[in-house]
Amino acid sequence: MTASSVSSPPEPPVVDDGPDDEGGWWSNSPGWAKGVLAGGLVLILLLVGGLVGALIGQRTAPTYGPAAGSVDVGFLQDMSVHHRQAIQMAVWERSNTTDPALRQLAFDIESSQTQQLGMMQGWLQLWDEPTETAPGQYMAWMGMPMAAMPGMATEADLQRFRASTGQGLDVEFLQLMLRHHEGGLHMMEMAAADASVSPVRALASSMVTTQKAEAQTMTQMLAARGAAPLPMN
Amino acid sequence: MASGRSTGTPQRGKGGRPPQRGKNPVAGARKRTSSAGRGAPKARQVPWLLIGAVVVVLALIGGIGFFLFDRSSQISPWRPSDSNRDPSLAIPGIVTQAYEGSHHVTPQQRVAYDRFPAFGGPHDGYWAACNGQIYPQAVRTENMVHSLEHGAVWIAYDPARVTGAARDALAARVQGQNQMVMSPFPGLDQPISLQSWGHQLKVSDPTDPRIDQFITSLKGNPYGVYPEVGASCDALGPGYFDPANPPAFDPPPYPRDALPMDYQGTSGAGGMGGAG
Repeated sequence: MTASSVSSPPEPPVVDDGPDDEGGWWSNSPGWAKGVLAGGLVLILLLVGGLVGALIGQRTAPTYGPAAGSVDVGFLQDMSVHHRQAIQMAVWERSNTTDPALRQLAFDIESSQTQQLGMMQGWLQLWDEPTETAPGQYMAWMGMPMAAMPGMATEADLQRFRASTGQGLDVEFLQLMLRHHEGGLHMMEMAAADASVSPVRALASSMVTTQKAEAQTMTQMLAARGAAPLPMN
Repeated sequence: MASGRSTGTPQRGKGGRPPQRGKNPVAGARKRTSSAGRGAPKARQVPWLLIGAVVVVLALIGGIGFFLFDRSSQISPWRPSDSNRDPSLAIPGIVTQAYEGSHHVTPQQRVAYDRFPAFGGPHDGYWAACNGQIYPQAVRTENMVHSLEHGAVWIAYDPARVTGAARDALAARVQGQNQMVMSPFPGLDQPISLQSWGHQLKVSDPTDPRIDQFITSLKGNPYGVYPEVGASCDALGPGYFDPANPPAFDPPPYPRDALPMDYQGTSGAGGMGGAG
């Protein structure tokens, strides 16, 4: 392409192609142009090498994984915050209830969600993502950033719960935890369907199964104590 | 392989040689074209098109490089990473001190802390709830130091100087956030003092950007800037630590029998083990 422009006037331009030793465009070029071309080519080679190296380095670096804002990262960050509050309530209930059935349920929720929280935090750390959602940006990965996630207890809820004793404490716990489970369901179902990383989908879908079953148990335990579930917030 | 070289199927033999022979026709062709080109001696010409192509390729590479760099630089420089495990060390005015963790005292014992407020050293066996807890009252330091050991960032403020909107601005950073805790601290030498295990930053203005730098650098930092990664900030309740009724504030001066900073722990303190 270049040769045609250089040997423009009389030659049949199609034949005269490619770099040459003598008489071609190269030897016809002034010295500074040769310098510019040679320098430019060397620079291109160096930069391409550097870029390729950097890209390979990125792909094999210990940090990799779905991008910020993806279903996977958004779900893990949100569900970490969601799980943490469930654990917080379950820890209090296990330590303060006098009902063995409630103590067992609370311990079950606390231990399983603590284990799941550890998995979620570990993945986020491997992917070099923040381990929880920035305040006020909950559920942004679902296309609707919210100030709070559904089912989360408010500070007033928590204070009322902690101030209760006896069966009142158990009813508060069952009501808050039932609403908490049901509020997180939509997020878990979406992640179970749409997350890109298979272990994330598997974890989300096991949460769906577990929490649906626990919600059923808690609904029955509430009824047995003559109390009704809370409306979703 | 070896047989192919010694006896050689005819195909292989031919296949191996052509590169050498192939050169000649190409060279010949080149010579022909070049001699044709030499027919008319030309004036020196600048290969602008090629120079332009080199410039375009360089610009493309530069653009890709800038894009990659820009994307990586969007990550906050205060977020800890393997190559920058404690970004807080770059915050102007930060004070650090190495402390040993895990030395516990009983709810009746006191520690003669070396810093004000303390940010490390022996502490009560029960940690103060630090899961976004905003205490309206000052809390016993021995319990707060245990929260720091669990990775909490403690915002202490002087209730005489930080009130209203200024206090709300601090509370917004704590509310609902795990590993964040806030309490008034009467007698502070600065309006606001931030503590993480082994780290302290005193500021006078709740809008000071160093507050968020401190929090981003240290809260939940997984690289060992505090002793117990993953430890709980939740409260167990009355009889352990009750956030609605925390142990009373115990500022200096310290009594004569206060335990020294190198105290190795009381066996059985707080039910969480003594020195363990």
